[in-house]
Amino acid sequence: MTAPSPAPRRAERRDFLIELGTEELPPKALRTLELAFAEELRARTHQAALRFGEVESFATPRRLAVLLRRLASHQPDQRIVRRGPSLRASFDAAGVPTRAGLAFAQSVGVTLETLGTERDDKGNEYLRFEGLKQGAAAVSLLPALVQQSLEALPIPRRMRWGESEALFVRPVHWLLMLYGSELVPASILGLHAGTSSFGHRFMAPGPLRIASPGTYERLLQRRGKVLAGFEMRRNTIRAQVEAFAAQLEGRALIAEALLEEVTALVEWPVAIAGQFEARFLRLPREVLIAVLQHHQRYFALEDNAGNLLPRFITISNVESPNPELIRAGNERVVRPRLADAEFFWQQDRRQPLAARLTDLAAVTFQAQLGSQAQRTARIEALAAAIAASIGADVAASRRAALLCKCDLLTAMVGEFPELQGVMGRYYALADGEAGAVAEAIREHYLPRGAGDALPASALGDALALADKLDTLAGIFAIGHKPSGTRDPFGLRRAAIGVVRIVLEHRLELDLVALLEHAAALQPVANANPRAADSAMEIYDFLLERLRAQYLERAADNGVTTELFDAVLATRPRSLLDFDARLSALARFIARPEGLSLAAANKRIANILRKSADSVNQNVDPQRLREEPERALHGALEALRARVLAATAERQYAGALELLATLKPAVDHFFDRVMVNDPDHSLRDNRVALLLQLRTLFGGIADLSRLPG
Amino acid sequence: MKTQKIGPKPRTFQQLIFTLQQFWSGCGCVILQPYDKEVGAGTFHTATFLRAIGPEPWSGAYVQPSRRPADGRYGQNPFRLQHYYQFQVIIKPSPPDLIELYLDSLRALGFDTRLNDVRLVEDNWESPTLGAWGLGWEIWLNGMEITQFTYFQQVGGLECRPVSGEITYGLERLAMYLQGVESVFDVVWTDGPRGRITYGDVFHQNEVEQSKYDFEYADTAVLARHFEEHESACNALLAAALPLPAYEQVLGASHCFNLLEARGAISVTERAGYILRVRTLARAVAQAYYASREQLGFPLLKPTDTSSGALEASR
Repeated sequence: MTAPSPAPRRAERRDFLIELGTEELPPKALRTLELAFAEELRARTHQAALRFGEVESFATPRRLAVLLRRLASHQPDQRIVRRGPSLRASFDAAGVPTRAGLAFAQSVGVTLETLGTERDDKGNEYLRFEGLKQGAAAVSLLPALVQQSLEALPIPRRMRWGESEALFVRPVHWLLMLYGSELVPASILGLHAGTSSFGHRFMAPGPLRIASPGTYERLLQRRGKVLAGFEMRRNTIRAQVEAFAAQLEGRALIAEALLEEVTALVEWPVAIAGQFEARFLRLPREVLIAVLQHHQRYFALEDNAGNLLPRFITISNVESPNPELIRAGNERVVRPRLADAEFFWQQDRRQPLAARLTDLAAVTFQAQLGSQAQRTARIEALAAAIAASIGADVAASRRAALLCKCDLLTAMVGEFPELQGVMGRYYALADGEAGAVAEAIREHYLPRGAGDALPASALGDALALADKLDTLAGIFAIGHKPSGTRDPFGLRRAAIGVVRIVLEHRLELDLVALLEHAAALQPVANANPRAADSAMEIYDFLLERLRAQYLERAADNGVTTELFDAVLATRPRSLLDFDARLSALARFIARPEGLSLAAANKRIANILRKSADSVNQNVDPQRLREEPERALHGALEALRARVLAATAERQYAGALELLATLKPAVDHFFDRVMVNDPDHSLRDNRVALLLQLRTLFGGIADLSRLPG
Repeated sequence: MKTQKIGPKPRTFQQLIFTLQQFWSGCGCVILQPYDKEVGAGTFHTATFLRAIGPEPWSGAYVQPSRRPADGRYGQNPFRLQHYYQFQVIIKPSPPDLIELYLDSLRALGFDTRLNDVRLVEDNWESPTLGAWGLGWEIWLNGMEITQFTYFQQVGGLECRPVSGEITYGLERLAMYLQGVESVFDVVWTDGPRGRITYGDVFHQNEVEQSKYDFEYADTAVLARHFEEHESACNALLAAALPLPAYEQVLGASHCFNLLEARGAISVTERAGYILRVRTLARAVAQAYYASREQLGFPLLKPTDTSSGALEASR
């Protein structure tokens, strides 16, 4: 809507609050939902040209809320100028408005008489409208902004409920939308907006009228028995757990993931301590942690020496007048679980790990890739080859490989899959296997994710690499390489694991040869007529993860994607070689000669591209007519042997240092010599000289790919 | 705010069942008896699996004896049984206050939700053999899982419109908790003028013998043959447009599969094949059942007579 009123209005600023009441949301997704909702709403409100101050967000199992501070009541008014038809077209000879003139006036919402005129450079006169487009009211825009934000949330599986057509994470129950102290009328997900929230499901289930957004958090805490702020709840839980631990003269194990999950499971956290029989402390520590943390969401406690205590702290969601009831109930639950684990621990050790090998034949790894027994044989072959290359004990690597999947058949891993490898280590030790073998069994799953530890032993490295290379080769062989965000077999993680182990432990390995070996071992007939092609494809995939690893730390290592491509062009088969080239190049390019020689390489590459067919490697010194070309040739010859020797020894910095001394000769050559001589023999000779220069650089990296 | 009615704690296993039946009857549910075939869970009862299909409203509640041959422990494990009871509630469309109704049922069982820590912990359900999945929670009472709560999204491969809400109580666990006993066999079943009878008195011998059958005596060749027979019978019945008898053949095939698995007679690769075969049958039955209800004009869609609704609402 437009109006010719000249004075823009001043928008008022008030707080805006949206709270969506839901049934209990998935705890592991809650924080993501909260932050995504706040960000979506922030971005959309900003895009709608509505000004606002800070953005606060709240999330509990039963609510998602966002508070926009000092939100403008309107979009800013916009001054609008529009040129209409010419005056000649707008009025007829008698000065009577034409249809065109009237239509323009109507289109801008005023009468023809109120319009002004303007002249263009040629002196033609036109109708002119000048006015204000009123900004829309925030309350009229907010319902759509909220709705779009909710629709954009990252929800893997939306659900329906009852007869409703709405789709959301869980069924929704109330919608609170307040601008200042006023209701923002809206209808979203089948709910009509109101001005009330609801308190704790059990302690304050009634409606709570929210007078203004700024009082929301405090009112929920005081009257609703709800700590709405995620951060605040998390801090409260941490403080309660630590206080309890101190009281019990222990130290609480507070894993961040557990703390976050527990925070997402309660609205009103109340810590309660419980205990279990001390005899269960004879179970492996990881088993106790699995039961207490992963299955029961308890915090475990340890003494000053780091030994677990027969105690736990649970976070309940209710301030019970009778907390004893909750303590006793939780102790009743944990006891049979620990008793089960104790039974598995005793039962599993009656049979040595090695005796389970035959049964692995009945466990499918992947339909086309055979059983876990077949996979074990492949890992064994690869691990032995890797162990031989990195100086680890080959016989031990074979033994560890043979046993590494056997714990999958134990009752304990059946019940606690997250203990795979960990239990393998315990059972191997119980069987009297060598300590290094047992460690390698545990370590072969490492690293399990970003930031996870790497194997600590060379044997562990060999086994971990073999496991990952086999997975990569197998899944590529059956055509399930990752696409987009889909990576059901965790190949990116496996590839990053390979890159990290090899680089961080400085392992000299011909990865291409290993991948060919791994590809050749796959039981897939005809899928890969040539293992070498498949190996190259996987190697490319690995190198892309390598690129990502370098670029993540670009601020420290100075690596750019062009530098990476320059080295990639030489396709080193060892990541250590790749790394040596890349770091030498990064330092070289930071120097003035570096840039200038990169530019020269680019120039040479262009020249060579045009004369690709007639290139001859040999330079005939007799045909070098000009002084600059003779000088360049001389300088090149003087350096060649040393550059090649340094390159062969991976002394890339030294080799580049030597090549840097060619800068004056190269500059001189390009300043004075015309490569494209009419005499083709002279021209070809010069091209050959440049090719030699480029070959020398090319032994290190393709400098023509650098911006120069 | 409505008052929360806390009932007296049921002292026996059968009182627990009576209380739940009474409660859900008061909520308007049809109180049914168990389905008379071997099933792995209350979901397999036609009152859930088939009634969840299509547009017709439905509310039912029942006890369902459930068999999980692989969970047999010869009566030696205090918590694991190859035969146990579920109390199942199914309401379609799921009412907005279904969670509150459920919590009221806990109150009816004597659990004051202001004293006990009741929590809904995400747990999504999927049955590969039934081609069904849903989203929901396991319900924790002071750290113990006592109930599964699921909003069905798909059943027999068919989208659920409207959505059914399913509530499954683990009766033995609840009874052990209510009675404060450490072994399921010590649960008091009844304690009346004719004396006290425990869960062990009723079922211990059954656990011992059935475990022997499940793990040692079940004839795998016969079971494999039965599986095939159920499969072909199911297909024949579907061809005759008889979805209800066809569904019983699905149950038969499913139970044979569970027994074969407990006997260790199915390799991992074969396992996927068996599951797919049962799912294929279940989907075909689901479609045939939908078609049969459609042909009948979805009789339960008739507008409800509001005048007679108060008869049982005496809770």
